[in-house]
Amino acid sequence: MTTQVTIHRLPTGVPGLDDILGGGLPEFSFNLIAGQPGCGKTTLAHQLMFAMATPERPAIYFTVLGEPPLKMLRYQQQFDFFDSEAIDSSVRFVNLSDDAVAGDLERLLKRMGDEVMQHSPAFVFVDSFRSIVRGSEAQVGAQGDLQQFLQQLAMLMTSWQATTFLIGQYACETDANPVFTVADGLIWLHQSVERNSMVRKVEVMKMRGQPSLPGLHTFRIASAGVSVFPPASVAVATKADAALAALAPRLPMGVPGLDDMLGGGLPRGYSLLVAGPSGSGKSILAAAFLSEGVRNGEHGVIAAFEQNPHRSRNRVVADLITAGHVGLVENRAADLSIDEIVFMLLREIQRLGARRVVIDSLSGFELALAPTFREDFRESLSNMVTALASTGVTVLMTSELEDRYTDLRFSPYGTAFMTDAIIVQRYIEVESRLLRVMAVVKVRASAHSDQLREFSIDADGIHIGTMLSGQEGLLGGQPMKKRSPDPDSARSA
Amino acid sequence: MNQPSIDLIASFLSDHTRPGASSSQIAGSVAAACRGIEAALAPVIGRRGVAALLGRSLYLTARKHRWIEGMTEGNQSDIDIEGFESSIARQTSADAAAGGQLFLSTFNNLLMSLIGPPLSRRFLRPVWTSSLSGTTPQDPTP
Repeated sequence: MTTQVTIHRLPTGVPGLDDILGGGLPEFSFNLIAGQPGCGKTTLAHQLMFAMATPERPAIYFTVLGEPPLKMLRYQQQFDFFDSEAIDSSVRFVNLSDDAVAGDLERLLKRMGDEVMQHSPAFVFVDSFRSIVRGSEAQVGAQGDLQQFLQQLAMLMTSWQATTFLIGQYACETDANPVFTVADGLIWLHQSVERNSMVRKVEVMKMRGQPSLPGLHTFRIASAGVSVFPPASVAVATKADAALAALAPRLPMGVPGLDDMLGGGLPRGYSLLVAGPSGSGKSILAAAFLSEGVRNGEHGVIAAFEQNPHRSRNRVVADLITAGHVGLVENRAADLSIDEIVFMLLREIQRLGARRVVIDSLSGFELALAPTFREDFRESLSNMVTALASTGVTVLMTSELEDRYTDLRFSPYGTAFMTDAIIVQRYIEVESRLLRVMAVVKVRASAHSDQLREFSIDADGIHIGTMLSGQEGLLGGQPMKKRSPDPDSARSA
Repeated sequence: MNQPSIDLIASFLSDHTRPGASSSQIAGSVAAACRGIEAALAPVIGRRGVAALLGRSLYLTARKHRWIEGMTEGNQSDIDIEGFESSIARQTSADAAAGGQLFLSTFNNLLMSLIGPPLSRRFLRPVWTSSLSGTTPQDPTP
């Protein structure tokens, strides 16, 4: 029998936050939500409060000398989580500005203690704690008083079984500060601006008693409030589907002849890279892949970063989306992170029970990312492919590839190694006509065709033809007709 | 616009500033409402926050009722409710009723414009309901 105290972890109600906290907030913990102005501290605090507080387990939100409460209420109610009906039943706002303005910490502590004893809140928020510190700094012996105030406050709140959040504006997390020492949890919000994109990140610097997820994790503030995007590897809950997928029959591609080239279709759970120059038919191949899935009773998801899938050019995909067979992940924000895109993809996959995913294209995908994430593009892409594959879905990614006739390249990002299969498309010139050719370059752990096959595109889609047997030097872009062996030279040999 | 909130104020105003009520009665009712407002809102937005809203409401009301103008001068961090009450009591009952009504509805509209009707109603419901159920203010003893 264990004698350890059981610390309950409280679900925060903030999407993704529990994952990076290590399973929720420890009950009765004393936490600091810190960051620079405008990074979302007050919004996060309100969202936590409205999500966690109930009439039986109410919350008190102490406002001090920071944002005027009237303005705070005005702006916070713009978020979906703000519930006016909860006020005075689950949530109670208490203004301490008159007590704080004197800088008398003892008086402030007494006032807070009185409120806590009167209402027995399960959650206490102090916004902004920094203003309490500033108010007290003018007093003689402020530092010692502050340390004492903090310890007494933490002791009071824990004794009264209140999970507490101090909201504070701190510029630097490395400064020695008594509150950093006393706090059980330190949640730091960051924001960085690069060109026209702003990226918000959250870091759990400390969470006593549980393994939080280290590092910076992106989050977004939308009308619903804060959403945190944990790393792709954490966002995927189960890998059971992936194991099952490997045992299932291969997937038909929806392009006659291509399944044979792949050695009998694309193995389930594989990631396939379709690389080729602009207009070579990558998106049409992707549309055929989704359409064939729907024909076989499998829903799909497309992350479109290139063209608008509702336009006539992708009528097949547009119709599938309209019919509800394919989910669309599309975001034109200039500050996307890979983790957010994975979050959106996984949400759509889960919503539809999708088995096929298309990312069209990696080039547009890279451009959609905030500049700060582009440096890590390869690594993040690898994480995304791994995360998607571990859900058991089969992924098709298209990639823009400039035609170079002096070398063989399959991906502009050096991403070929991270996909299980590769199809490459190229243009060649034959008798003053631009023809398309296609080859299967790789299917991991599977035999596949090594043929370079001509293909054409018409209103019905892609039609794969035969090898151009009479030509040689196809990959040079300007093939020559094969010459028949010289009978004289054969005779002399 | 939130109808229940308006209805509550309308009931309050019609009950406390109806024709026939004396200036002193009207002044007492308006002052009681001000104290109720302060009691309801000061814990949430602070006394200075309440004083700022009351001051703004007085300023807006004074545009139509010049006798209120004097109330808006001086200390902005506190409102002299007793002084306001005396000022109302010095008016004719018709002016007192009109000025008092406009002041309270202006305050309510101001609060609603800032934090929305549901929250305003939530915070101020005790003011309008307790005033409604309370005893009718009496003339001050001479």
